[in-house]
Amino acid sequence: MEVNHLNWATSSKKVLDDLSFTIERGDFVGILGPNGVGKSSLLRCMYKYMSPDSGNVLLNNRNISSISHREFASKVAVVLQHTPVGFSMTARQLLATGLINQQKWWQRIDHCVEKVEIDRVLSLVGLTDKAERVFESLSGGEQQRLLIARALLQKPEILLLDEPTNHLDVGYQVEILKLIKNLDITVVASIHDLNLASAFCDKLLLLREGKLIKSGTPAQVLTPASIENIYGVKTEVDRHPQGKHPRVTYHFDGGRHAAV
Amino acid sequence: MRLFNPNLLLAILLPLAVISPLIGIALGTADISLTEVVGAIGRTIIALLEPESKMILADRIIIELRMPRALMAMVCGAGLAVSGSVLQSVTRNPLADPYLFGISAGASLGAILALTGGLTFLPLPICAFLGSLIAVAVVVVMARDGQVETLVLSGVAISFLLSSIANLVLYFGDPQAMQAVLFWSLGSFSRATWGTLMVPGIIVIIATAIIYQFQRPLQALMAGDESAHTQGVAVLPLRLGMLILTALMTSSLVAACGGIGFVGLMVPHIVRMLIGSASSSSLIATALLGGVLMVWVDLLARLILPSQELPVGVMTAMLGSVFFIGLLVKRKQGHR
Repeated sequence: MEVNHLNWATSSKKVLDDLSFTIERGDFVGILGPNGVGKSSLLRCMYKYMSPDSGNVLLNNRNISSISHREFASKVAVVLQHTPVGFSMTARQLLATGLINQQKWWQRIDHCVEKVEIDRVLSLVGLTDKAERVFESLSGGEQQRLLIARALLQKPEILLLDEPTNHLDVGYQVEILKLIKNLDITVVASIHDLNLASAFCDKLLLLREGKLIKSGTPAQVLTPASIENIYGVKTEVDRHPQGKHPRVTYHFDGGRHAAV
Repeated sequence: MRLFNPNLLLAILLPLAVISPLIGIALGTADISLTEVVGAIGRTIIALLEPESKMILADRIIIELRMPRALMAMVCGAGLAVSGSVLQSVTRNPLADPYLFGISAGASLGAILALTGGLTFLPLPICAFLGSLIAVAVVVVMARDGQVETLVLSGVAISFLLSSIANLVLYFGDPQAMQAVLFWSLGSFSRATWGTLMVPGIIVIIATAIIYQFQRPLQALMAGDESAHTQGVAVLPLRLGMLILTALMTSSLVAACGGIGFVGLMVPHIVRMLIGSASSSSLIATALLGGVLMVWVDLLARLILPSQELPVGVMTAMLGSVFFIGLLVKRKQGHR
């Protein structure tokens, strides 16, 4: 996927400012930046929900604006930051909507095929025993795993996630990111936690006021200078004892340290 | 959380949908046995196949008077319930009903114009049909951005506007027309004939069949526009298409039977409570339950008072109010 000179503005603010980058097949790319910097807007342009004012997004060298909704959903799946599932839908019923892209409106998917497909992704995210539970009755982590499972039913080439670990406790955050990392597909996710982004992402994009300030491997992007430049926070960056990725430690008043 | 297996509910509703109209035909000012009803239907089919054979008078009463009425109640209940269910999905508003978009107000204005002056050269049902279609067309044009909020606000605005125009016409019109309009607006199946059944019957069957094919995208819409978009659903065309289909169904039904409220609101709620809204059987169950309920309400409206018929719309409104008050009380008790 290629993002070329993307610009998008509201009536009062320029949200995306001449953004260009390329996502390589198989990469896990993290989008970083403070709140309101344009991460969600960028993702929305990448999944065709918003049209950029100028610039374009290419998927396999085709402008995504020329790809039909159904075909696009077969190539790019999305897990939103907030999915308001109401009307007492069960996990299985919600997952069944992930198969819409595989049928034309006059066709119906064979019940047996549907069951096998849904059981496969439920097993993949470890929720086989929750298939008949109502979505709202699941825990935050289970809901997020289910939404990832629904995205996987689309059999996408690329998975886009808008803050997939938002509102989850540390245990679920690690669990969700491990799950995504092991999927073996191209992933682009906006992430707030710098240490989690460093641990799981192959590449990072650092945004400020809609502009791409820095991109590269976690070691190239997560430097004390760039973090202070973007977030206004002093940090110490060293190597994580269990891996090669950088570990960020935030400095508080009077030089106290806290590893996060 | 669920009371019924969807297949079990269908297994109960399907025979009910066959037996209820037969009972509706059998009971009336002069009761007829079910065997006679079935016999009359059989003899009529034979008479249709063999032109030489003649129908007896009793069969004519059953086939030409009571049967269209029972079937009209069935079609009306099914159509309104399906419309309500679809509109609740596309607006993600469990309180949406088929009259949300000014359909009832448009039909009333058309009927008033037919009765009081302006359009007396056209039959009342045609005027009501045109009135509701114009109302929906204006709402669709106003809400062409496909946003739920615009759709609901446009519907409310048009509804009030048309109601005020209708009231103004009535105020300056013939006092007798007011009585006729009131009778029409309260809803009744007493004018049902094979002729008046034809148009709403065909529209409801075709529209329901099309909506059935779009159940999955409609279920995806329940999780929001953005989520449905990511599943490959073309949200705007789907929402506008469904609005047009439900408007056609409701307009044709209002034109034929008057304004019958609460069925489109109540039946989808009952089905959702029983089997949830995302089951593949929920649309069929909604249609069947709506039809069955309407046949029984019509029967009650005809038989509750001796030698007098109550308006069906009043009966459904009473039932609906009791249902929702009961639901509210149950919820409050559940929270304690």
